Parts: sequence; C-alpha cells; structure tokens
Amino acid sequence: MQAFDYKFQQLEPIKSFKRVPAPEMYVPGHRTCAGCGPALNYRLVAKAAGKDTIFIGPTGCMYVANASYLCTPYAVSWIHAQITNGGAVASGIEAAFKVAARKGRNTGVFPNIIVMAGDGGSVDIGLQAMSGLMYRNHKVLFICYDNESYANTGIQTSPMTPYGAKTTFTPPGKEIPEGKVLFPKDAPQLVIGGHPAVKYVATTTIAHPLDLMNKVRKALSTPGPTFMHMLAPCPKGWLFPEHLTREMAKLAVETGMWRQYEWENGTYKYTNVPKQYKPVNEYMQHQGRFAHLKPEHIAKMQAFVDEKIKSVKQAIAVAAPVPASRQEA
Amino acid sequence: MAKELIMTGCRAAAEGAKAAEVEVICSFPIRPYTAIMMELAKMVADGELNAEFLHGEGEHAQLSVVLGACASGARAYTGSSGVGVTYAMEIYSPMAGGRYPAQMAIADRTLDPPGDFGSEHTDAMCTRDQGWLLGWACSPQEVYDNTLINYRVGEDHRVMLPQMVCQEGYFISHIPDKVILGEQSQVKEFLPPYRPIGPLSTTKPVSHGPQIRPDQGAPMDAQRAKTFLAVPKVIEEATADFNRIFGRDYDPFVEQYKLVDAEIAFFIMGAHANTCRKAVDRLRAQGVKAGMARLRWVRPWPTHQLAEALGHVKAVAVVETSTSYGGAMRGGNLIHELRASLYDLDERPLVTSFMAGLGGETIWPTDFDYMAKVLTEMVKEKKTKRYVYWIGM
Repeated sequence: MQAFDYKFQQLEPIKSFKRVPAPEMYVPGHRTCAGCGPALNYRLVAKAAGKDTIFIGPTGCMYVANASYLCTPYAVSWIHAQITNGGAVASGIEAAFKVAARKGRNTGVFPNIIVMAGDGGSVDIGLQAMSGLMYRNHKVLFICYDNESYANTGIQTSPMTPYGAKTTFTPPGKEIPEGKVLFPKDAPQLVIGGHPAVKYVATTTIAHPLDLMNKVRKALSTPGPTFMHMLAPCPKGWLFPEHLTREMAKLAVETGMWRQYEWENGTYKYTNVPKQYKPVNEYMQHQGRFAHLKPEHIAKMQAFVDEKIKSVKQAIAVAAPVPASRQEA
Repeated sequence: MAKELIMTGCRAAAEGAKAAEVEVICSFPIRPYTAIMMELAKMVADGELNAEFLHGEGEHAQLSVVLGACASGARAYTGSSGVGVTYAMEIYSPMAGGRYPAQMAIADRTLDPPGDFGSEHTDAMCTRDQGWLLGWACSPQEVYDNTLINYRVGEDHRVMLPQMVCQEGYFISHIPDKVILGEQSQVKEFLPPYRPIGPLSTTKPVSHGPQIRPDQGAPMDAQRAKTFLAVPKVIEEATADFNRIFGRDYDPFVEQYKLVDAEIAFFIMGAHANTCRKAVDRLRAQGVKAGMARLRWVRPWPTHQLAEALGHVKAVAVVETSTSYGGAMRGGNLIHELRASLYDLDERPLVTSFMAGLGGETIWPTDFDYMAKVLTEMVKEKKTKRYVYWIGM
C-alpha cells in the first residue's frame, strides 16, 4: 500500500510577477465586502494552486460571501464543510482519491486538496478536525485565512482576535475598558508543536503576494499535511478604510504584530524582517477596533509584540505569548 | 455454496461492508459497535479489503470523513453507538441534504445520564428526522443483509440518501447466531458499483453545497420529501431482488407474524421481536389470538403497509424502546407514528404503548403476557385507558 505512486503534484516556484500564471481559479462574481482581505487571499491561493485543485470551504466569510444563492466563484471543484469539520471532510476526500488511484479509477495527477478555513474554523471550533487531519498524515494543505474574528456573524471575538480589540462579544466598558482582555492563540505553533507528520508550516499576508503564492506551491509540493497561516485584514471588522487593506497587512509585518516565516522540518526561516520595527501603535491607530485603548493598553500590546520579536531575532521557535510570563520566556 | 457461519451482529455488519467492498472507513471507539471496526481494521490489515481505514477524532469527524469520501465518489462506511451517535448530530443533515449515500452502522446504546452500556433505540431514533434511511434488524443475518440492501437502496439514483443500519447493542451485536454469507457472484448481481452524481473532480469542476436564497429553501425541502415518497418502490425492488438472489423471505417493510386472524397485536422492532414471536406462540396456545408486526424501516415510515397489516386487529401494543419525553403519548416515539398511520381507517384498532427494554433490560415473555392482558381488557371495554405503561415500574 505504501509503495503506491499517487502522482502528487510538484509545483515550481514562481520567479517573478511577470511569470505569475494568468488563469484565475477564483473568479469575479462573489459578494465579499469592498476591500476584503480574505477574498484577495483566496484569489492568490487559487492562482498559485492551479486547476488540479479541490477546495474545502468551512463555514465563514469565505462561504457566506462567496457561495451565495447557488453561485460560487470557483473555477475548480469546491465543497462546503461545516465550520467544525474542514479537516475531517478534507481527510475523507483525500482518502477517496487514494483508493480511486489504487483501483485505477483515477489515473491523473493527485489533486491539490486545500482547506480554506477562517480563524474560527481553524483553531477554535475547527481545531479538533484540523488536528485529526494532521495527525493522520493526509496530503492536504490547511490554510487559516485569519481576519481575526468571526466576521460574517457580525464581528465576534475568536481566539485569534488580538488583545484590546473591540468586537461585539468584547465591547469596551467601564468595568472592562480594553474590550478584549485575552491574548490570542498562536496558530502555527499549535500545528508545529503537536503534529510530527507535518513537515512544512508557513505564515504570510495578502500584502506579500509572490511570497504567499510560492509558499502555497511549496506547501503543496511537500509530502503529507501542511499548514499556512495568512493574515487577511478585514475593513468591516477592524474598522479601517477599505482602501487600506494591503497597507494594514504591510504595517502588521513592519510593527512585528505579524511575523513572516517558514518552518521546514524543524528549521525556522524568517522573511520580511524589518531592520527597525515600528511601534505597534502605527498599526493600531488606523483601526477603529483599537480606538478605545488607553496608553497603558497599547504598552501592554507592545510588550507582547516585543516578546514575539525577540524570538524572531534569535531565529528560534516563537514562544512565550503573554507578558505575564515574560521572565520565563 | 454460500457459507453458513456463527457470528455476532458486529461481525455480520463488517462482513456486509466487506462484501460491499467499502472504500473509505472511518472509526472511533464506543461500545458496543466498536467490534464492527475491529473486524474491518483486521480485514484491511490482512489485505482482504482494499480500503482506507481512518481513525476519526470523534463521531463528528467520522461522519465528516465519510461525507468527504462519498462526495469524491468512494463507497464510505462508518458507525457508532449511544452518545457517539448524538455527538455527530450536526453532520446528519448535511449528509442527507448533500445526497451523499454513505452508510452508518449503529449498535444501539442508551444515551447518558448516567452511563449505561445497555441497548436502547433512543440514540438512532434521535436522528430520524434528518433525512436518512433508517431501519432495524432483528438478527445478525438481517444485519448482514440490511447492509447490502441499504447500499443498494441508498445509492439508487432515485434515492441518493445516507443509510443508518441499526441493530440492538449486545442482543444482536454481541450474541453469535447463524449467518449465511453471500457468494461474491450474488453480491455482484445484487449491488452495482457506486455511481456518484457530480463528484468532486479536477476534470469536471463542481461546487457542492453553496448557500441558497430563502425562497429556494422550500423547493429544496419539498424535493427531499418527494424523494422519500419514491423510496418505498426502490425498497420493494431491492428486497425482491435480494430475496431472489440470496434465497431469503423478507417482507420489504413489516414482518407479519400470525397477524392474519389476530385480535391483538404487538408492534415492535429489533431483537426483542425474537422473544415476541415465542410469546405470540405461547399466547395462542392459551387461546389468545395474538400476532406481531415487526417494523423494518422507520424512515421511510411504511404508513400504508402498517394500516394494511394492523387495520383489522382490535388492539395494538406498541413496544417502545426509545423515549419521547413530554410527547403526545407520554412515552416513546413509535406510537405517535403508528396512531397517525391508522387514523384514516374507518375502523381502527385501539393503540397503547409499553415502555420496555429501556436501559438494555430484557423484555421477558411474561412482559408480553402482561401486555396481552392489558390489550384484552381494552378490547373488552372498547377503550384505551392509558397512553403508556412502563413495564416493571
């Protein structure tokens, strides 16, 4: 059984913008908001993956706004999954294509199987299914497009929502002035830390399209399960003008709010590391979700980010998420 | 020659799945159905079955895995018991609504609280309105047979629905009985390969499960309801073919035991029917004209067949092994649907119900004697005195 050649795809890196494949696999006609980060994210992922691809779309913005009224913007096969089970549905699809290949029903290349899950569908309600997929060593790329909230339900906090953000479930008030008091999970570390079958994990943003596409192609060409965490700013949820979507992702990297890296078989490789990090407020000040914060809250955020940056500088695993445990970091 | 062996219901289910050449299997352990997956795991390990055997991280994942597999054109198989069945609850509707004809084997177990290993129909009965085919076997042989019959019916293009093939935990799942396994040629004649409609593919891109407008909801629901109207004919055809090819004698919907001249009848499903038949014989020896109707399918519910089978008797005892707290008849589930099935008859039997076998208790022949006594009194007084009696309470 192990010896069977399933004809997994090997995708060459894209050398420059001029050589980006022209065909679009995520086409116009969807109903996402103006300036939607996740929609751009989807387009880039689909372009990089190409036509021999199957997408699994757990419930989230990219289900509700894309697959409305029996129309979908996918030029490749796509299936809706529940917000809970993207990883499990993808596992079943991969298993079915393996059997079909062994039985000679499917003699072509093995499809790229990609889960496009929001932050909730990845590391909150979808965490168990994602972990199951990675444990079972399926040939699937699991992407978390992170807009840092449950956005299509009206901006509720998720475990990826940053500290201090105002959401409809973390409203700032007299008793709780900072709104969200918890610090977010670390999505890639959840994968890296507990899934020995995973050999490639990468982070990227929609402001770095070539980086994004090449990481997707590398992930798809890696044996076994792979994971990508992508920052996809959300004008509606973060409360910034819609023409600044790309700028927000760029600033996130420049301030250290977001770290770009590849983790390959135990080794970290950081990219887009600024020579001098900008203060986090340069990122936060554009976003209405942080408008209520006082200087001490912003300082708390800066301390949190400083810890993360320290790890980047040492090129080691990102660790010690909350300032409270700073000394141990 | 077909082989006759002694085996449990779990083994019989696994043999049925093997005969059907299932391709993607997803397991998670919970007693008592676990043994089905143990058997299949060994078959895959021994190279007797060319399938992907996945350990799901829970029942919710089990259902999700087979949904994905079925959507990709594989014949898929899973199963569960008790709270495992209810843990997967979210996925039943997408499976049926997406028209993915995968199969789930159930060996019944009580729900919590408190933890009880006993058999009770409540687990699978909770799913009865989710759009699946649903039915109970009463022996390991029928488990094997139903596995094949269900794939044939579910995968029929007039149907395309998932199937829940139920057996009582322990009474069937763990008590060995004679089972005749089919020849490969018989299985091949009876069960064609799964032909998916619009599966996920790289050559013919499709979208599965986009959202709809509110006004598209009712037509879609109506289409599913209409499909269920077409299922009985497919069940009849499949059962007739099965009986012919495998030499069996199943009534498609309702096993009728000494019903023709019966004055009182037991309405029952599952393994306790075996005791019930003996009880009927004993009552007849005492001069009581008793009979039994055993339900083989809960979905689709055989409304007219039941009216025909039971319309002439004077009183019916519904043997309830599932609970419907606060329901119209204050006890179980089956009585609601049986009463509704008989309602349009000019003269209809009196119908009451007996909560029996709950928690995995045995239903004894003397319990059927008690039910017969109640029915006889009802006939004499020409009225239903109570909706429900709790056996042993």
